Order: sequence, then structure tokens, then C-alpha cells
Amino acid sequence: MKVYEVFLKKAGKDEFRHAGSLEAFDDELAQLLARDAYCRRGEGDAMWLVERSNVLVADTDLLAVTIDLPHRTNNGAMVAEHRRVQRNGATDETPEGAGS
Amino acid sequence: MSIDHVGNGLSAGTAEYLLAFADDEHLVGARHTAWIGLGPFLEEDLAFCSIAQDELGHAIGLYEILLRDAGRDPSSSLDAFALLREPSEYRSSHLAEAECDDWADSLVRHWLYDRAEAVRWNALADSSHTGVAALSARARSEERFHLEHAERFMSRVGTTPQIAAAVERLLPSAVGSWAPVVGETDALAAGVTSAPSSELANRWEAAVRADADRWGLSLVWPDPASPLVAAHADRSVRSKGFDSFHESLTVVLALDPAATW
Repeated sequence: MKVYEVFLKKAGKDEFRHAGSLEAFDDELAQLLARDAYCRRGEGDAMWLVERSNVLVADTDLLAVTIDLPHRTNNGAMVAEHRRVQRNGATDETPEGAGS
Repeated sequence: MSIDHVGNGLSAGTAEYLLAFADDEHLVGARHTAWIGLGPFLEEDLAFCSIAQDELGHAIGLYEILLRDAGRDPSSSLDAFALLREPSEYRSSHLAEAECDDWADSLVRHWLYDRAEAVRWNALADSSHTGVAALSARARSEERFHLEHAERFMSRVGTTPQIAAAVERLLPSAVGSWAPVVGETDALAAGVTSAPSSELANRWEAAVRADADRWGLSLVWPDPASPLVAAHADRSVRSKGFDSFHESLTVVLALDPAATW
């Protein structure tokens, strides 16, 4: 038996999303079984199946180095602080309630 | 209804003809559901029970046509009509009724029955009864995938001894199921169906033989005139095991036949 990963998409702009996985002995049966396992209530208008052995699985070390890089997470705080300082002058030391 | 259908549009004969198909769909669907939770693997469990639901849906559609024609409201009469008739009032084939407690038997019955079912729905595609024609369109769109499902399995295991034994056991009742159905002459004259059972049987046999050739499955075709086949040719006679199965289907409903579920 082979393991397949199933992806479904509704018509429109939604992207394909992972629905689950299943076992089947060939590609044709996998499509029939996927319909009944994951789409028997019209959950999708389009379906992708990928045999799991064909999925490229990245080395987790590749991702680990990205965990502690806060400068890549811009929530706007640094820019807001910079602009506030610019408005109030470089020597401004009263950030609380300093007015607009 | 099988005995005394008084309809608005369908003759008693045509009603009996449709009842034979409805009861086949009902019984085979109910028998298929025995695999709920017991299928060979989880995904197949779901798929096979989905097929069972489809067949039960076809039965409901045909029962509704018969009940409406008789001036009865299906919402209040369908359960009782489907389940609480006397065994002698059913018109199902012995193939549909057969207990298949072995997966190979169920798979072979699924193949033989769905081949027959597709042939029968095709004959109803241009039915003069618009309800029957509409139901045929829906059923044919589903049967395509039932046959594809049978193909996937049978093409892999068609040459095994288990399948050979199941075919030997079930083929006589499958051939017997094509004996002319009571009411067929009426149904043909009314244009409700387009071909007699003898013609449908030929189409079915050609399809079954082509399947078997493709899968490398050798068939020993039973003589339609043999006692082995004739024993399964009368739809007014229930097969062995029907009564206990029928009782199991009705055990809850019979607690209070007047209850609204």
C-alpha cells in the first residue's frame, strides 16, 4: 500500500489546503478513496493527490536558524518610535503624552 | 403495492417491474452496510459504505415514485413500505439478498450487481416517466464510479482462488436474476423501460465476460435452463437467509410501527 497526501480546493480564490492522508494500492484507487474519505460532502471542487514518497521533506536544521531572527519580524514598533523621535526633536525625553 | 398497486399513472404491472428494481437496490445496499466498521482497511470501509448509501438512495427514489403514484405521502409511508412488508411481498433478486460474510463474496457481488445495475439504469434513461428518467441520470453518474471501484479491486485479485470460489457461488443467482420480471410487458408498452430482460441480460453477460477476460478470470457460465439457475429465477420466492436478515432490519422499527422517527 502507498500513502497519499490529499489537498482540496473550493472554487474561487481559496488555495489548496491539506485535507489529510490515506492508504491505497494505486493512483486510481487513491482518487476514489480520497473522494469518500475527504470530499463526500462536497468539501472541494478540485483535488490534488501526492504520493507521500514524492514529497520533498526539508532538513529541520534548515529551518532552525530562522527561529531567532527578530529583526525579520517587523510589527512597526521600531518605525513608529523613529518617527516619534523625529517629530519631537532628537533631545525629546518625554515620550508619554507628548502631543501630536 | 407489489400485489395490488392502484396508481394514478403507473399500471400494476409497471409498478411491479419498478418494485423489483427498488427492492434489489434496497437489499443490496442493506447487505453492503454489513461492512461498516469491518472493511478490509479504513479507507475502503468508507468507500464501500458510500456505495451502499448510493444504492439505498436509488431504492428510496424508486419507492417514492411508487408511493406518490399510489397517492401516498412518502414522508409518512416510506419506512413502513420499505421495511415492514411481508417477505412474500418483496421482489428482490437472490443475488441482492445473498449474505456475503466474506470480503471476496461481497466484492464479486458488488461487481456482478453493479454491472447489472448499470445496464438496467441505462434502459431507463429515456423513460416515459420523467421521475424515473431523472433518477436514472443521477444513478448512472454514480454507477460509473461504482464500476471503477470494482475494477480497481478485481483487476488485482481476479485470478485468486477466493474470487473464483465467490464467482462460482454467486454467478448462478446473478444469471437467475435476469428471468423476465413480472410486469415487464406493461413497462415496455408504457415506454417506462426500453428493453426486455432478455436483451438486458445479453448486454450484462457481454460486459461481465469482457471484464473477466481483462482480469484473467476464467468463468464457468451456468446454463440459464439448469436447476442451479432456475432456483434463483422467481422473485416472489425469498432466498435462504432473507427472513432473519429482514427481521434484523426491522427490529427497531417493529418496536413501534406507528412512531415518527
